[in-house]
Amino acid sequence: MALQQLKFEFKVNNPIEFSHEWRHHGVVGSGDLEILMEKKDLGGAVQVQVVTPVVGFDKVWGMVLEKIVKENRLGNISIEINDNNATPIVVSMRLRQALAEAAKDVRKEV
Amino acid sequence: MSVWNQLQKNSFLESSARQRANGIVDNGTFTELLGPRDRVSSPHLPVLGEAVAFDDGIVTGVGLIGKRPVFVISQEGRFIGGSVGEVGGGKMVATLKLAIGAYHQIKEKYPTSYQGRLPAVVISFETGGVRLHESNAGLLAHAEVMDQFQDARGKIPVISLIGSKIGCFGGMGFVGAATDLIIMSEQGRLGLTGPEVIEQEMGKDEFDASNKALVYRTTGGKHKYIMQDCNFLVEDSIEAFRTQLAEVLTLSMESIEEMRRVGSQKLVEEQLELVKLAVELDPRDSMDVWKYFGNESPAILPELSLTDFLKQAKRRVRKVEGGSVNG
Repeated sequence: MALQQLKFEFKVNNPIEFSHEWRHHGVVGSGDLEILMEKKDLGGAVQVQVVTPVVGFDKVWGMVLEKIVKENRLGNISIEINDNNATPIVVSMRLRQALAEAAKDVRKEV
Repeated sequence: MSVWNQLQKNSFLESSARQRANGIVDNGTFTELLGPRDRVSSPHLPVLGEAVAFDDGIVTGVGLIGKRPVFVISQEGRFIGGSVGEVGGGKMVATLKLAIGAYHQIKEKYPTSYQGRLPAVVISFETGGVRLHESNAGLLAHAEVMDQFQDARGKIPVISLIGSKIGCFGGMGFVGAATDLIIMSEQGRLGLTGPEVIEQEMGKDEFDASNKALVYRTTGGKHKYIMQDCNFLVEDSIEAFRTQLAEVLTLSMESIEEMRRVGSQKLVEEQLELVKLAVELDPRDSMDVWKYFGNESPAILPELSLTDFLKQAKRRVRKVEGGSVNG
């Protein structure tokens, strides 16, 4: 029962460029996760790698991640997640928080 | 308002390890070393099917307080209880080594004016000690950290900050006690065997871990302050910890050495006297001990605000000369 490593790739039309070189968000607490986002030339695609102890939820991960990617029109970004049994709702909430915080910091820098 | 300014008002207790590390040094000066982007996580946890973290639960880096480089080690209690494994322990040791290296470099570069520029090490504890999943490596890390303390002794101050939810327990309780001085908040807890473990091993009659008041009377900041196990007691904000830290950094290495609780023959004798006192006094509760040290109505102490407590509380008198240099 080694750790699961899941890989996903998504692509949306007219993606918005990620405005940071990289960002980190969250803590791998119980039922929680951390997110590392890096700007990367992926021909407009989004690559996600999830490391999790949970088995058998690949499809749910795919759906949650796809929704976030579409909602935020993400592109050219690599997302790595270290998960410790977070529920799907926590996963999408943390991803939204990470993106919102990144956007907030851009406004401040301007 | 900048992120740093917001952090200052934050509860130290509720902040993350990374927030504490950023907020404890001057605005914008913190540089994280081996941060999440370096992805140095535990090699042992994946084999056991346990979640990993990019920083292995310990934030390390360097910042400034005034002109002084401050090397920061900040433990994250939410990741496997802040337990120290091979990678996290290695990061602690390497940070201490960097600080000692910086001490020698700065002394060489500024032969006459190095005093105000010397580095310091700050450790924010939030841990129960060894990560049992990597027990031998974790234990070894504890020993190596203590070894570095000895190398740093008399050169640079090694300062503990304890104000986290988990506190500082297990093997790291020893490590915390072996630093030069300890700054705590009332919510901070310091000890060897944690409340739940005592209850599990000795039964609820011996120690009721669900009795929060009892737990804080036995391991909390106020008790540790009276016992002289911690040197300073501050409010629960990152700013309060930073202010006290900055004040401590103005002291000479001689006065910092005098704040130690362990590390000399005399100090061992002083600790042994305390053990003797514990046997003679046979206290049923921490309040018996507070009373012995001159607090007429010990029951009111836990209820007092920090300001009133610092005014009223009578502390154990240190035997070793200079041992009572306290704020």
